[in-house]
Amino acid sequence: MQRGSRELVDRAFTGVGLVSIVLLAAALLTLLGPIVLRGLGAFVFRGTVEHRRVLLEQFGRGDTEEVQRELAAARAAREPVYDMIAAFEREMKQAGPAERRAMGESLDGLKAALRELLGPLPGDPDPPLLRLRFGQTRWDRALVKLQSVLWREQYDYSDPTVMGRKVLVPRADEFRGTALEPLFDRLPAELEAMLRPRWTVYWGFLFDRSRDAHFFGGIWAELLGTVYLTVGAVLFAVPMGVASAIYLVEYAREDSRPVRLLRTCISTLAGVPSIVFGLFGLAFFINTLHVSSSKSVLAGSLTLAILILPLVIRSAEEALRAVPHTYKEASLSLGAGRWRTVATVILPAALPGILTGVVISMGRAAGETAPIIFTAAVSVGQPLALWEVFSRPTPALPWNIYNLCSEHQAVDEIRHVQYGMVLTLVALVLLLNSAAIFIRARISGRLRG
Amino acid sequence: MQGIISRAWLAGLAVMAAAGAAGAEGSGPTEIVIDGSTTVGPIAKAFAEYYMKEHPGVSITISESGSGNGAKSLINGVCQIAAMSRFMHDTEVKAAVEKQILPVPHAVAIDGIALVVHPGNPVKDLKLEQIRDIYAGRITNWSQVGGPNTKIVVIGRESNSGTFESFQLLVMKGEKTGPSVESVGSNGAIRQRVQSTPAAIGYVGLGFVDRTVKPLMVNGVSCERQAVMTGRYPVCRPLFLFTSGYPELGSHLHALVTLHLHKKGQEIVEALGYVPLTDY
Repeated sequence: MQRGSRELVDRAFTGVGLVSIVLLAAALLTLLGPIVLRGLGAFVFRGTVEHRRVLLEQFGRGDTEEVQRELAAARAAREPVYDMIAAFEREMKQAGPAERRAMGESLDGLKAALRELLGPLPGDPDPPLLRLRFGQTRWDRALVKLQSVLWREQYDYSDPTVMGRKVLVPRADEFRGTALEPLFDRLPAELEAMLRPRWTVYWGFLFDRSRDAHFFGGIWAELLGTVYLTVGAVLFAVPMGVASAIYLVEYAREDSRPVRLLRTCISTLAGVPSIVFGLFGLAFFINTLHVSSSKSVLAGSLTLAILILPLVIRSAEEALRAVPHTYKEASLSLGAGRWRTVATVILPAALPGILTGVVISMGRAAGETAPIIFTAAVSVGQPLALWEVFSRPTPALPWNIYNLCSEHQAVDEIRHVQYGMVLTLVALVLLLNSAAIFIRARISGRLRG
Repeated sequence: MQGIISRAWLAGLAVMAAAGAAGAEGSGPTEIVIDGSTTVGPIAKAFAEYYMKEHPGVSITISESGSGNGAKSLINGVCQIAAMSRFMHDTEVKAAVEKQILPVPHAVAIDGIALVVHPGNPVKDLKLEQIRDIYAGRITNWSQVGGPNTKIVVIGRESNSGTFESFQLLVMKGEKTGPSVESVGSNGAIRQRVQSTPAAIGYVGLGFVDRTVKPLMVNGVSCERQAVMTGRYPVCRPLFLFTSGYPELGSHLHALVTLHLHKKGQEIVEALGYVPLTDY
């Protein structure tokens, strides 16, 4: 090949490499950007007075007097709205029966929309569900609800050849010339006074338990469940994994048939889809071994342990092989036995490398969904105490993210919880991985020194 | 190095123990596990929330893995309550009895299976036969039932679902659904598919009907409370909580599966959009 064309190929390759790196960065940004931005919305948002009321009444946090004072002010601001409704109801009584029915229907629609925005109206019976007892806790959601007070969604079916078009009808039209007409100008102008939004940092999202199926509160049970499952998996997988790695590296004859078979098995284990582990965990740990009477953190941890076992074995093997031969030879020449050499010379030298692998496998275990569906995860549960992990199932982040987005009854109302969970999980995994990088950096520093 | 690591390990354990202690107050000897239907899920969750608030010592966990899995869990003895949106099959009852588990049904609510379409769809009313034809693949275009000329996107549930089986029984009358029916895993997933697909049709439990989808009338009857309660709406079924034997009187389990008989329970069922069996 000519020198010129060689250079051309070289440059082309550099270009392709650069482009792929830029694409990778862009992909990472488009992936992580929304996760971080939307996820932060669960922690930092404009909380209304209702949010502070929830914290006070459900979690016993906040300054009672101040919240009461704020609530009184908010109630005073809402009072004119309720007065208008009362005046409208008086007008209704004087209207004819047909007119009254039409007015009643319009009023019911308006009331329903107002309840979603401000919570129960005066005179309403005490609602049975917690979610119905409070107005909007977040200003962004309040603005969405305000729109549905001001506008009614309708569909225009006039063209029979296509699907109907959405049209927004101002609700004010239904109340022209009545006592409620001024409401539709007043509400947008006065909403801030009625809800008193304030920038809020809500760390309780991590440490509060959820109330009423995630409508209020945080994700403590899920977070704790994920930590239990991950730590449990590591507790089972690491001793087994490191022991097998030591056997494979130090004791086994490299080229013997059983060892080759063993290695193939480990590789195969690494390639098994995670849902298979989940079903295996259900069939073996729960239905056959009866490690617990129902799903439990224990069963989930055992299942996850098998999942990460190949990862642990591989990384431990590599760490053990990376220990310079001279260490071993020096130890053996001083008269130490094989076990003593492994325990006092090779293992300590390989420990940081092994730890890196362990931490990375923790990240893997934390994010896995399929293995825990049948063995450990539930959609609603309490945060567990340490001694309960042997018998009790737990909510866990990966499963509950899926559960919220696909099965929750009112998923559109609580998107921020879902995004917050995603951010927490991603942050957890990133944290574990950067811990691994940190440990690795320390080893290489130590080996150089 | 080793010292640092073991210290970090100990610190980690200490944090875990503290974390456990922080979350301990909801535990106790009374632990109830509910498994099963995603349709009954909202009722189970709300009952649990209410009951745990009244009895702070009780801890209830809920999995929503489908009626079939709920039955399996009860048979295997890994849950105390199986939430089911259909009755147990004879095979399931037989399997349960063989394991000395006597399934006792507690009907907690009546649920209509709402046929839902995108709110932009002008079709308002379908005959039961038309719905069957749509799901069997004989009607494939909305223009055949009075709508615009658009291919119907048919969404159904997977076979593990109790809602699927009730639908097969009440609408399909034993006929198989066509190959073009897209199966999804939960009520929520159906609603999401339908609200984002103008030409879609799907079916969900009443608790999952909201403003983003439009429930159709069936045979000219809309799925309102009165029509469902009296059975005039043709696609409705009871929702069950199954226990193993009738629970001991005075136990938390008993109180939980009979909560719907109380005024509070009825209000919860109603507020969630289902039809209560009681009338206070």
